Amino acid sequence: MSPDRTAARLLRLYPPSWRRRYGGELETLILDMSGGGRVPWRIRADVAATGGRERLRAAGLGGDSPDARVRGGASLVLWAWALFVVAGAIVQKTSEHWQQALPAGSHIATTVAFASLIGVAVAAGVLVVAGIALTLPALTRCVGAGGWAQIRRPVTRAVAITAGFVVATAGLVAWAHGLSPRDRQGHDTAYALLATVWALFGAGTLGAWTLAATRTAARLTLPASLLRVEARLATAVTATLGVMAAVTAVWWVSVATVAPPALTGSLGSRGSAFVPQLVLAMVLMLAALGLAGAGARRATRALPHLAGDD
Amino acid sequence: MIVRSRHDEATAGRSNDPPVLILTSLAAGEKHGYALLQDIEDFAGVRLGPGTLYGAISRLEERGLIEAVGASGRRRPYRLSPAGAEALRVALDGLRAIVDVGSARLAGRPAAVSPAGSAA
Repeated sequence: MSPDRTAARLLRLYPPSWRRRYGGELETLILDMSGGGRVPWRIRADVAATGGRERLRAAGLGGDSPDARVRGGASLVLWAWALFVVAGAIVQKTSEHWQQALPAGSHIATTVAFASLIGVAVAAGVLVVAGIALTLPALTRCVGAGGWAQIRRPVTRAVAITAGFVVATAGLVAWAHGLSPRDRQGHDTAYALLATVWALFGAGTLGAWTLAATRTAARLTLPASLLRVEARLATAVTATLGVMAAVTAVWWVSVATVAPPALTGSLGSRGSAFVPQLVLAMVLMLAALGLAGAGARRATRALPHLAGDD
Repeated sequence: MIVRSRHDEATAGRSNDPPVLILTSLAAGEKHGYALLQDIEDFAGVRLGPGTLYGAISRLEERGLIEAVGASGRRRPYRLSPAGAEALRVALDGLRAIVDVGSARLAGRPAAVSPAGSAA
């Protein structure tokens, strides 16, 4: 591949706004350093890595200043929470009706674990909503000062995806009304396929709003006192994610010990405890927990370096 | 890999931090990207990648520590701003303090002795 094409491809890794400002200069530098020959791998790796960092910055997750590190860390926790919501939805859908499928008298430990999971999930949701609500005055000021143009794209994209998701949900519900409970439980292949696509659409909608929130947060002027609160909320949300992962594991083990088929809402006492959907959900939860831990650590470690409020 | 400082890298840098190297290079006069890389390699022995260089340039320009000179172009030179000169002074003071402490501590140590018994 010619060095010009390689340089052009590498530049696509950068956010459009960055490319508009520095793209021409960086492309020229890459070509100068390549001396008219192939672009060396060392240069490709360096340009690609910086492109990734610039993308993270544009998404509100990167940056070196204490202010940017708190925002980036809190935004990472928000992404982790969104991932956890997807994992929680998988657990909920897979284990629907598990209470009815368990033998009588074996509910207590599992019910306590499941109730704890719901309670902590609600607490995490409240913390996330509080974190977003606290930034609303800054958002209002930003929009009032003409900042809408900067945040319009991710927000309108999220609204459009949400509108599509609402239409898809209405269509799926209408179809489900005409099906038997057995068909709705996966015996109608077309419905099961569409339900899977709908679930992915839902995850995409959540992702679009998370992206809109983090990109918007990166452009808001937030006082140091608010950033401190956001960092602490991020730590609290991370703690709730840890508790939820632990409680889910306890619930899983306690159901699997008594009647593994109940993990998928089925009757019986024999079967495998390693339900693929639950394994996937647990992997997502642990990944989200790792992400949240990294975000909370980044935000908290930047706190001592934040400037005081004016 | 360059480990990040716990502080704002533009004002409390390490000797091999790209922002400090760029500010030091521009203290001698305006330069475009390629000239910056060559100068930095000459005085510091550090070969920055083009992505690393422009990542740091964008950050420094965003903070008003350097300025692009002239109209847009594919070899646009940059120069140090007054705020950049002050940031470089602060960064160098920080580095000088480390050099002074390190030198004083080394001077207070007995000379290293090799296993054969001769001074190294």
